Amino acid sequence: MVDCVVCVKQTVDVNQLRPNPETLEPEYSKAPAKISDFDLNALEEALRIRERHGGKVYVVCVGSNVQQLLIREALAMGADEAYVVSDPALSSADGLATAGVLASLIKSKIPSWDLILCGEASVDEGAYQTGPRLAEILNIPHVSYVTKLELEEGYVKAWKGMGGSVHVVRAKTPVLVTVGLEINTPRLPSLLMIRAAGKKPLNELKLQDIGVTSLENAVETRRVKAVKVERKKQVIEGEPEEVAQKLVEILLQEGLVKK
Amino acid sequence: MTTILTYSDTLQQAAEVLTLAKQLAPALNAEAYAIHIGELSQEAISFYGQAGAKKIYHIEDGQVSKGGPAVAAEALADTVSRVGAEVLLVAATRFGLETAPRVAQRLSTGYAAECFEVRVEEGSIVAYRGVLGGTYHAEVVMKKRPCVISVQTGRYQPSLSGAAETPQVEKIEVSPSAPSVELIEVQQSEAGEVELEKAELIVSVGRGFKKKEDLALAEELAKVVGAEIGCSRPIAGDLKWLPEERHIGLSGKRVRPKLYLALGISGQVQHLVGMRDSKTVIAINTDPNAPIMQESDYAVVGDLYKIIPLLTEKLKQTLGK
Ligand SMILES: Cc1cc2nc3c(=O)[nH]c(=O)nc-3n(C[C@H](O)[C@H](O)[C@H](O)COP(=O)(O)OP(=O)(O)OC[C@H]3O[C@@H](n4cnc5c(N)ncnc54)[C@H](O)[C@@H]3O)c2cc1C
Ligand SMILES: Nc1ncnc2c1ncn2[C@@H]1O[C@H](COP(=O)(O)O)[C@@H](O)[C@H]1O
Repeated sequence: MVDCVVCVKQTVDVNQLRPNPETLEPEYSKAPAKISDFDLNALEEALRIRERHGGKVYVVCVGSNVQQLLIREALAMGADEAYVVSDPALSSADGLATAGVLASLIKSKIPSWDLILCGEASVDEGAYQTGPRLAEILNIPHVSYVTKLELEEGYVKAWKGMGGSVHVVRAKTPVLVTVGLEINTPRLPSLLMIRAAGKKPLNELKLQDIGVTSLENAVETRRVKAVKVERKKQVIEGEPEEVAQKLVEILLQEGLVKK
Repeated sequence: MTTILTYSDTLQQAAEVLTLAKQLAPALNAEAYAIHIGELSQEAISFYGQAGAKKIYHIEDGQVSKGGPAVAAEALADTVSRVGAEVLLVAATRFGLETAPRVAQRLSTGYAAECFEVRVEEGSIVAYRGVLGGTYHAEVVMKKRPCVISVQTGRYQPSLSGAAETPQVEKIEVSPSAPSVELIEVQQSEAGEVELEKAELIVSVGRGFKKKEDLALAEELAKVVGAEIGCSRPIAGDLKWLPEERHIGLSGKRVRPKLYLALGISGQVQHLVGMRDSKTVIAINTDPNAPIMQESDYAVVGDLYKIIPLLTEKLKQTLGK
């Protein structure tokens, strides 16, 4: 039996986010929310571990305004139970505060666990920090960028993508791993599973319920602005022959190729 | 005087973070020193010197360099505390990115990941980084000291001065107690290390290619102009036509060549993040409304299968190859 905790983050759907034309700030309220992509890979991996070894899969999520519907999606995929801390006080939480709250949540509510799974980075912040921070608080080892995972008695064996090479590592459980897209393809919940998810326990909590009385932020995000890339946006159309000739001229003109 | 510490698991990037540290030093009234974990050769010492370090804090081999991120984080955090540094700058290599946040947590402080710029503004350390898929820039004020910042690799080009003093080496003794991870095996990918980040010209291929064999069209073109081959994620991740380390974007490499030639790539946000800093972008796409067209200097509407062979042929003639 292997019990897994999966950290899922609610993020904005970046593909549908548009900047305000004047301020260039993102208009969060006009874009839908979703679960951060890699977190679905983390959840999928936990479900596969349960299929092989038995045990439970818990989903945890903290945020300032977490939508129940998204957590129901995670339950529909197959998680057994969810713990959500949704509290307005978390609206400006940084990495330090977030990891602290996640750790308090796990310590106070999850009876026992062997493995924590996180996305390697979230789509909005992309900080690669929450997993390692959480592991540090819990004083357990962590393995990032895991592309393949096996469980042995008291250990995990993990294949870790390091860019040009793969590191095969072993770490004692309890352990935290972070994963990206490569590890698996997340399942789509069937209608039956979606219906069943309605009855699964979704525990909604406030900070005080997990014994957190104050939050410390160590960074402050002062401004977020859309990147303006100035491009010539010159359209080139025509017969392939003409187009190819034009491209050669452009490459020469811009000094990108030399005679 | 205060201290800025730098760390990288690779020497080249150690020089890059030192370059940034030196830029920040006057405004913080600080000295820039390097931390080195593991064996330290004489050549490495003088390299650190040329990159601008007056002192190297040397954490000798043993458990630390083999124990994984938790053990390295413990040693780094210890050093920051002992030296009383204001800031630790870590190169955002794969190892840096998994270690730096653990250091920050150990020091109970703030962290800014993969920053492309760091400045001191009115006494505050402000880190600039890409967020929301890289389409936005965030300004992050580090409110607490010490703080930890990881720095995008390839961003700060070191100016290695020839004649520098040999840095002083100070040994730091640590007794690791953090949970370790055991490295069993390193599997090199067949392709070996590809340094797309340094490529001046990149020919990048996407799903507009119908089958693997057709990539030869792009490869031939790349050969003629001396470009590296890059690709969108599906080509490497899903189809496995090219090795992982050639894919560009959010989950892949960030490149900034002089020329980025996007062939049959639609230009989803996750891809754009990786290539937006390119100097000139040319896209060839059958769909005039593909998002990549708005991100291009030259948006060629057309069939890559027809245009590329002609382009390659013409370039061969023009360049006399
Ligand atoms: C969390 C996450 C991370 C991701 N990370 C990355 C990443 O790092 N890098 C990345 O690239 N993607 C990434 N993706 C995937 C990304 O969203 C897109 O799916 C992907 O970039 C699309 O690849 P493509 O442009 O090759 O394919 P498509 O979107 O299918 O585009 C193919 C293009 O080819 C054109 N075309 C077709 N035939 C021809 C022809 N004969 N001649 C010319 N043009 C033609 C079409 O008009 C189309 O525009 C990520 C996705 C997620 C969810
Ligand atoms: N607020 C949150 N609630 C739950 N999990 C989170 C939260 N923030 C981050 N995580 C987890 O940490 C991963 C990395 O996030 P980040 O450090 O923001 O890049 C995410 O993919 C999640 O698995």
